[in-house]
Amino acid sequence: MSGYSFDFFYVLNGFSRLLQGLIVSLELTAIVVGIGTFSGFVLALATSSRSLFLSVPTRLFVEIFRCTPALIQIVWFFYCLPVLADVFWPPFTMGVIALTLNLTAFNSEAYRAAIQAIPAAQRDASIALGLSRWHQAIHVVFPQVLRIASPVLVSNSISLFQQSSLVAIVSVEDLMYQGKLLAVQTYRPIETFTIVALIYFGLSFPISQLVGRIERYNARLLA
Amino acid sequence: MDLTFSPSFVLPYLPALLRGLYMTLLLSILCISIGLVFGFAVGLMRNGTNRIAYACSTIFVEFFRGTPVLIQLFWIFFCLPVLLNVEIGPFVSATIALSLYMTALASEAFRSALLSIGSEQNDAVLALGLPRRVSLLHVILPQAFLRALPNLLSNSVTLFKESALVSAVGITDLMFQGEIISSATARPIEVLTTVAAMYFAVGFPLTQIVSLVERRVLRRMAI
Repeated sequence: MSGYSFDFFYVLNGFSRLLQGLIVSLELTAIVVGIGTFSGFVLALATSSRSLFLSVPTRLFVEIFRCTPALIQIVWFFYCLPVLADVFWPPFTMGVIALTLNLTAFNSEAYRAAIQAIPAAQRDASIALGLSRWHQAIHVVFPQVLRIASPVLVSNSISLFQQSSLVAIVSVEDLMYQGKLLAVQTYRPIETFTIVALIYFGLSFPISQLVGRIERYNARLLA
Repeated sequence: MDLTFSPSFVLPYLPALLRGLYMTLLLSILCISIGLVFGFAVGLMRNGTNRIAYACSTIFVEFFRGTPVLIQLFWIFFCLPVLLNVEIGPFVSATIALSLYMTALASEAFRSALLSIGSEQNDAVLALGLPRRVSLLHVILPQAFLRALPNLLSNSVTLFKESALVSAVGITDLMFQGEIISSATARPIEVLTTVAAMYFAVGFPLTQIVSLVERRVLRRMAI
């Protein structure tokens, strides 16, 4: 071991900046999770549609976003969307778009599995009650699949919180970005990165424990 | 500036991108292999009776699953050389970081597979007087591996995708080559789309194999 002496002074001095970064990270995660939880369901309905015009493009969309790194998705939107669509949005918006599409693809897989778990008798019942397909989807299917898929949805959301650190690479001022900046400015990478890692861990860990609880609760409910 | 989309533009850069892909694959295979070996060991520790081994392995796994891979990479890249007072290149530090991440992922897959092996097998091993090493290698490992296979494969796909992050510590992988070429030529659309397509070309067949193996294993195990 080298005689490295830890000094947290400078890092703690810049702690308010880390907190600012954390707020950006949380904001990003909240927006993306909020949209992705619902859009994933709509996409799952489209992928399991009988119409090929609907199911083939949406399946392709899901596979593209599941089989490529999130980093290339973010970088692609950051560099290509302004050229292709002639829009100049701030990096934060680009990050939200890329991550929302990514989460939507992953959530739709979770929903698709959950939709298959709903007994066919319920569909017959909905038809007998004269519910339209839309009402059936929103009032009968959605509440149930939300519960069945919730463990996977929550762990997808935790992954997304961690993936959100990638937006630092396209200079969104999130926790990772502020941490990198602080590490360079203070010449204290060990202390800074350790604290940043602890912040991420401190938020992810309790939520991942919650997943286990939900799983056990669901198992008891279904048993 | 000429903004017309011309796919043939990428052709002269294909060799460079393929070299990047080779680096990505090399790194992924290396880290997956290391991660599988250590993951089995950590999985055993997580299920074992030794309290200290259990505590250490649990903290290790939760920490690596609860923090973004980017910060793990940075931490090992910037901090390990200072703490241990050794020079390690970017390739070694990236290999260490991704191997540890893969170990954490694989250990979870092995842990749940080990739990599903009946305790009567342990009794049988004892009754046959098999030494611990033999029972581990010839009785437990083959079964655990088969049951963990679907999860291990999807973990491998995850690792392949996460390996794009090593471009942030200066390793010339596919992502790195793509970013360099796209900024040098100012043709992000062609270059980044090609990079994404190359990731997809590897990732998509892998996910198809995962679902094939999943169905096969499930049928064989009749779970």
